[in-house]
Amino acid sequence: MIGNIAAGLANVLTPFTLVLMVFGVLLGILMGSIPGMTATMTVAILLSFTFTLDPANGMMLLLGIYGGAVYAGSIPAILIRTPGTPSAAATIFDGYPLSQAGEAGRAIKTSTVASFVGGVLSVIGLLFFSPIISDIALRFQSPEFFALALFGLTIIASVSGESLPKGMVSGLLGMLIATVGIDPLTGFQRFTFGVPELFTGVEFIAVMIGLFGIAEGLQAYADGLDDGEEMNQEIKGVLPSLSDLKSIGPVSFASGVVGTCIGSIPGAGGDIAAFITYNEATRWIQNATPDFGDGNVRGIAAAESGNNASTGGALIPTLTLGIPGDSVSAILIGALMVQNVQPGPSLYQDEPVLLYTIIMGFLVIYVFILLFGLLGAQYWARLINIKKSLLWPVIFVLCVIGVIALRSNLFDAWVMLGAGVLGYALRLRSYPLAPMVLGLILAPIAEENLRRSLSLSGGSLDIFYTSPIALAFIVLSVAVIALPVIRNVYPTLTD
Amino acid sequence: MNISKKLATNPLAVVFILVSVVVIYAASQFPDSGEVGPGFFPIVTAVGIILFAATDLFIADNSEFEISDPDLKAAGLVFVFVVAYVGLMPITGFLVGTMLFLPLTLYYSGVRSTPTIVAVSIVFPIILFYVFSQLFLINLPEGIIPFSRLLPRLPLVMMP
Repeated sequence: MIGNIAAGLANVLTPFTLVLMVFGVLLGILMGSIPGMTATMTVAILLSFTFTLDPANGMMLLLGIYGGAVYAGSIPAILIRTPGTPSAAATIFDGYPLSQAGEAGRAIKTSTVASFVGGVLSVIGLLFFSPIISDIALRFQSPEFFALALFGLTIIASVSGESLPKGMVSGLLGMLIATVGIDPLTGFQRFTFGVPELFTGVEFIAVMIGLFGIAEGLQAYADGLDDGEEMNQEIKGVLPSLSDLKSIGPVSFASGVVGTCIGSIPGAGGDIAAFITYNEATRWIQNATPDFGDGNVRGIAAAESGNNASTGGALIPTLTLGIPGDSVSAILIGALMVQNVQPGPSLYQDEPVLLYTIIMGFLVIYVFILLFGLLGAQYWARLINIKKSLLWPVIFVLCVIGVIALRSNLFDAWVMLGAGVLGYALRLRSYPLAPMVLGLILAPIAEENLRRSLSLSGGSLDIFYTSPIALAFIVLSVAVIALPVIRNVYPTLTD
Repeated sequence: MNISKKLATNPLAVVFILVSVVVIYAASQFPDSGEVGPGFFPIVTAVGIILFAATDLFIADNSEFEISDPDLKAAGLVFVFVVAYVGLMPITGFLVGTMLFLPLTLYYSGVRSTPTIVAVSIVFPIILFYVFSQLFLINLPEGIIPFSRLLPRLPLVMMP
């Protein structure tokens, strides 16, 4: 492990890779600072810039954008009470009152340090827990993999929206879309309608760009292109005060640990992590002065450490099991697959250096976030004034060139537009999109292992409950689906 | 909540059920190679969609009512611009197509500064053209008249 860490660090500390990371972090901060520009959308539309890079460098650019955007989402949350990304929603509670009191700089510096602490803790968690999980997963056979895919789908459906049935429909739709193309086991063409471009299936990246680029764009136009409030508050100084650092230290650490654990649950992204860590902080810290909600720096630290910790946490199931922890890590899986790298337990055996390069790179990315966050706070705050009316047309062009770059085929642009309309319609009716993305990724794993398992057992379902691990995953999946139903039918029981 | 009200607020559930029925029919026509043939997984998935979409129609859930009143016309029109941009690209090519798409969409989005519109519409497509076509060596659509070939080639080497 030490050798792989050293090799990974050596790969990261090359000038070209460092430049990519800096570029990624700055792009992430730029987009995250603009309300409505989510980390998922930014990673999706800029994915095409990594196609010609090697897998490690491509991941450095994307992880830089990811970390930068999640961090920078706090800036508009603090300054104009509008989160740049959904994961910064909880930062508003204390960030905005502090900014209103004329202490926007203090709030942003607190957010930067807490984001760094949360991010670094999550990467440490990724470093130490991934090999253990991967080791266990290496013993998985077909029934266990099918059960794991089923569990992944049910858990993401249950946590990523308000309605479990809607989440499940979204996930299953993703799975259905993924069945288009030549059946890998029999060679039969399924739902291809004789279109040659569909023989290899629907291009996952095109669907992602449609769901998170085009659909978000349509929503922005439907909601009215509000160019937002002007931000003119001056931010002085670079470093946070020692007393603030002392005050936020313990809560940042605890929130980082909790955020990492929450982030590692498929579907539970930074928004859920931040709300939970913020809520826990209000319970841990009694008699806070000022009160939580009135501009307490520890409230900002809890939310920001929690949401940034979810980034490394989300990479744990992504890299060890091939199951994305959130929408961004689903795109990262797609990015690796474009480079013929399949995330999952075998990655630790087949590509250990790549893996540790990714992990060590993410650690260095958080150092850059701390550096640029503190040094550039006064400039990032001005990014809020960028007009969306200028940005969205440019984003549409990036979406189109992004899919053309996939395989120089305009057909993928039509797939993207179709996915964009579907995504927008789903959003309009409160269907979460994250389960659909997971469904697209999980379908091949689920199908191959389900069919292989049934072939091995001669069609009997016994094979799923004779394996303790598969049985445990299936029981958990059933529990995840049944729990809301029980809660609905017997509200007093669950109270 | 009664079903007719649910149908009105969540018509997508009905669409998904209908699509799933069609999928089940189509997948049942796939060649039969026992219970785990190529049609098995699409059928299982479609049955799942029907079950959950029907459940969604029957349970009380207020998530659809949190939707604000969207301006579908604005979203529809910008979508038409993007569709025309992609649809005409085999004729216009990426460079010219983007130079036509951007001013139209920028103006529609509310940008009124002519220098800004002209600058973004010319500089941005050229930068993208150079990055993707010459740096990343990706074949971008050239259109029936390949204007992009008039641009000077950059003395670049492949990226590491």
